[in-house]
Amino acid sequence: MDPMLTFLVILIGMYGLSTSKNIIKSVFSVTIIESGVILLFLNLGNWQGGSIPIINGAADLIADPLPQALMITTIVIGSTVTALALMLCIKVFHHYGTVEWREILRRGEGK
Amino acid sequence: MHFIPVYLIFVPVLAALFIYVFKSRHMNWLALAAQAVLTVLLVLYYREFSGQYENTLIVFGGWNDRIGISLVNDEISMSFMFLTVFSWWMVLIYTFEQGKTNHNFLFFLMFLEGVFLALLQTNDLFNMFVFIELLSILVAVLIAFKKTGDAFRAGLYYLVISKAAMMMFLLSIILVYNSFGTINILLVREAMQSTDSLTVVRLSYVLFMVAVMVKSAFVPLYSWLPRAHGVAESGISALLSGLVVKGGLYLFIRLNQMYEYANLNYADFFYWIGALTAVVGVMFALSQKDMKQILAYHTISQIGIVMMGLSKLHDPDMFIGGFLHIFNHALFKSLLFLGAGVIISAYRTKKVTDIRGVMRTMPFVSVFMIIGMLSITGAPFFNGFISKSIIKYGIVDSGIRYWILFVVNIGTATSFIKMSQIFFGPKTMTIRIRKPLKNFALMSLAFACVMLGNFYIPISEGFFGFRVQYIDIGTWANFFDYFLALTIGYVFYRFVIAPDPVPVRYIREHKMTFQQANYLFVVMIVVLLTVFVWW
Repeated sequence: MDPMLTFLVILIGMYGLSTSKNIIKSVFSVTIIESGVILLFLNLGNWQGGSIPIINGAADLIADPLPQALMITTIVIGSTVTALALMLCIKVFHHYGTVEWREILRRGEGK
Repeated sequence: MHFIPVYLIFVPVLAALFIYVFKSRHMNWLALAAQAVLTVLLVLYYREFSGQYENTLIVFGGWNDRIGISLVNDEISMSFMFLTVFSWWMVLIYTFEQGKTNHNFLFFLMFLEGVFLALLQTNDLFNMFVFIELLSILVAVLIAFKKTGDAFRAGLYYLVISKAAMMMFLLSIILVYNSFGTINILLVREAMQSTDSLTVVRLSYVLFMVAVMVKSAFVPLYSWLPRAHGVAESGISALLSGLVVKGGLYLFIRLNQMYEYANLNYADFFYWIGALTAVVGVMFALSQKDMKQILAYHTISQIGIVMMGLSKLHDPDMFIGGFLHIFNHALFKSLLFLGAGVIISAYRTKKVTDIRGVMRTMPFVSVFMIIGMLSITGAPFFNGFISKSIIKYGIVDSGIRYWILFVVNIGTATSFIKMSQIFFGPKTMTIRIRKPLKNFALMSLAFACVMLGNFYIPISEGFFGFRVQYIDIGTWANFFDYFLALTIGYVFYRFVIAPDPVPVRYIREHKMTFQQANYLFVVMIVVLLTVFVWW
């Protein structure tokens, strides 16, 4: 995949973040940015026709293992953050009765 | 001895896990014990390595240091670690009663300490990213800990914005890895000597800086800070405003050290960003009536002042001033937030206009609060005076820059004259609760403010390795500046702020929406790209 396409994914996420009025959609937009970044990193560490980074004798063209190790960590952290954000969304919904940013930020104290 | 940094990270984390598993009423003693162990280890480490920090590099597991995880320390991280441990002492003492029953709170607090100490010592860009993400998660939980609608809203706002910023940080790590084949900060720094300043390197710098700007709340990306610090519990606000925001500034120092050989002319740009932050922060603080909101907006403005100093990373005067101001701000802002917490819980309101007669009702707390206010406005013989004078020394010849600092000082003085109205008035009946521990925490912080204000020469030489003797701070000009700012501030308060005219009300009610905040985030990336890549 062309690295430029992953930049497109990141830009879609940025667009969603600065236009969506719904808090769930904002959380999704951030996740989309994250997917784009992860795809980009994995892309740059990979070679055309390369094999998995497990050396068993005669591998001459293998993918760079470091991006893969880093990205698995990023995915784990990302899922944690998403889970926490969605939990906070539920709590915000319980207190304000809506998931619109504008409504939530305009009001004072919640219920 | 060599592996003390690892213990520094794991002692608080393990203590946190024990607290979480054995939910006993005596568990806050475990937190204090862990804190004592940390202090002893830190002092031992300091005695062992002081002055020879090049030996502190640890690479784990015997890996090649191009790909291994490593920790390293220098004067800057060392002094930050002392500040961290001291701040946590104060907050743990202050929240001692709460810790007896609320174990989850103590768990998150201790875990945050371990993560913050790890962030200070890491020598690896990806580990830095991991620790900042952990920091964001823990801070979001701690902000939301009050379990009100406000708190959940602020926690979510902070979490989403900081996650978006950290994705830019990660993107930048990818660019660095792709250009240099390593993410070890020291090795990247050396590798930059041999390359010309490539577009990719500049692009990665832009993305790093935009993440730093969100984490340390520069204008225009500050909108999460007043929400978060205004609604969290006072102990947490003190910690967030005093220390955790400084994590962003620490990253600024570290990353700019990394880009030292890339020939980027960042000093002027960040000076003006700092000046803008200082002015805007003070402007919003002047209009607020909520005590914690005032303090939160002052955090933004003080970070601006720090940034004005730090932007000249290679000019010793300004840098020392900015760096000292980080410490001074941590001390007096913690003091003010903790004191405000005591007052707010006694009066049950946050409105500055409703609280009166604190001096008669709570004399001890008032004295400590006044020390904090004198420090933040930069009164002679208190610590704010020292760092502001050193920053002023660096820019005294350059007209407009000097006057911006003076305007910010006037704003700060006005705002704290407004806040000091709470001390006057008759004694009011409030709930009388004896709080010796809270008073002890306030007293220690006030003592530290006064100590640093008077004995800054030996302290800054011992801890930071800076010699500041050559800067003449106690001059009549500096004293005169302070009293002039105070006088103008009083007049300004009396005739402009106190009647509460329409523009002030308009600024108070102005709140940025979430889309605007993110839009500004994108705009800021474009501005930075224009300045550092295309220009």
